[in-house]
Amino acid sequence: MTNTLHRQGLVEDLRRDYTIFVHTAKGINREGSAEKIREFMRICLKHRPVNMGDVKLGSMHQDDLKMDELIAKQGDGTVGAAVFTDLESLGRVLEDLIRADLGLCVNISGLMDEVRECCRKAGISRHSAEHSLGIWGAKDRLPEREILEFNTMCGHGMVSFGLIRRMIEQVRLRRLTPKRAARMMAKCCMCGAFNPVRAEALLQKMLTEGWLHAPKR
Amino acid sequence: MEIDKEKCVGCGNCHVVCTMGVISLGDDGRSVVNQDECVECGTCHRVLVNEGYRPWFVRAVRKVLGVLKLGYLADADLCPTGALTPPDLTMPRLLRAQFSNPTVVHPGTGVPGRGTDEIKSNDVTGRLRSGEAGLVVEVGRPGTGAWFRDVEKVAMALAPLRPHFEELNPVTLLMTDTRTGRMRPDIMNEKVLSAIIEFKTELDKVPAFLAVLEEVQKQIDTVLSVGVASRCPADGTIPHEAVVAGAGYKLSPNGKTNLGLGRPLFREAAS
Repeated sequence: MTNTLHRQGLVEDLRRDYTIFVHTAKGINREGSAEKIREFMRICLKHRPVNMGDVKLGSMHQDDLKMDELIAKQGDGTVGAAVFTDLESLGRVLEDLIRADLGLCVNISGLMDEVRECCRKAGISRHSAEHSLGIWGAKDRLPEREILEFNTMCGHGMVSFGLIRRMIEQVRLRRLTPKRAARMMAKCCMCGAFNPVRAEALLQKMLTEGWLHAPKR
Repeated sequence: MEIDKEKCVGCGNCHVVCTMGVISLGDDGRSVVNQDECVECGTCHRVLVNEGYRPWFVRAVRKVLGVLKLGYLADADLCPTGALTPPDLTMPRLLRAQFSNPTVVHPGTGVPGRGTDEIKSNDVTGRLRSGEAGLVVEVGRPGTGAWFRDVEKVAMALAPLRPHFEELNPVTLLMTDTRTGRMRPDIMNEKVLSAIIEFKTELDKVPAFLAVLEEVQKQIDTVLSVGVASRCPADGTIPHEAVVAGAGYKLSPNGKTNLGLGRPLFREAAS
């Protein structure tokens, strides 16, 4: 799906938000892909992602899921994903993946120019690209931009507007730390695409600068 | 989702995590799900940990705290008594879970969730080729949800431009006629978290499709997240950028990149 395509936010925040994931095609490279997906996950894990998971089993922020168990249970065609907050780590993952030559379809969601540069450094040229054209329709039904920045980090829409609002409130009342509140949101996102470090930074910013701090665009 | 009235203590945690905001407190002090609006995403059941307390015990503690005018702020990811009960779903309501619960594998696509391949496996499938553009219109995202009657309205508006609707897409599979975009009549009153209309066309036709979306967006009471994709030539440029910008639309600075590491690589010349 368009899970990681529509992440909202300021460019400086998006600079700390890169999702890399594998995909397979039925009848082409899906059959027998389980071990390769496990290897993809092991490579990602080596470079310390801030989140990782697959939609069927859950993410590393679920209470009852261990990473070795998550990797061991990967089956053919699983959509494994990992989130990184810096281009250096992402670049190292990419180099390892090219070396491993798994034959899986690998995609990165993030700032297009940065990802292109990352590809160039790794000696590859991007194959296909997809952009968001934003949100259309009844936009008056949407909450504040800040809430959308959290919500769109889980493209499946599992982090509700209500929970985000509650977490912001709890942080501002000092009943939760930004880290704990961010982890609570990350727990809702099954596929591991939610970036808890970016969420924590956004909450921290709200704590120090106030609610609705984002400059007008 | 259903809530066991015998077990529910009305703590309200499920109200907060509900992706559609459709759980509320009933007159009896127990939570109730608006079944018409619930999209069966299962988030409340998945996220809230069942603490396994006896309902009478939790009610008694809450009553005592109430008398003493004391509050207790529990973590948001707990259900004290395990009152949330996923129902056995049958068609057409089962569609709600297939489109809204990402852990449910869609029978038509074989992958979990409501989406399809877009560019994600374009390096091996060659779904989008040179001169083509892929468009995705996700109705109901973010966070507002969509009725299939809304999805049909958008699909029918696009259909006269002769898009090539992606065959293995959960929305296309519900169309009775891809030439008109009409969908199954029995599903019109089913609501989902979102549904993705996915199609491809020639690059130069993208502005015409966007113009249609400009009009139809005014006729539906939900939001659309729109995306555009294309296959890059060897120099890594993005063909749709100029077309979309030329039509006056702004592209996001971020997006999705297929790295071309899939094997065997699809080669257009050999097709």
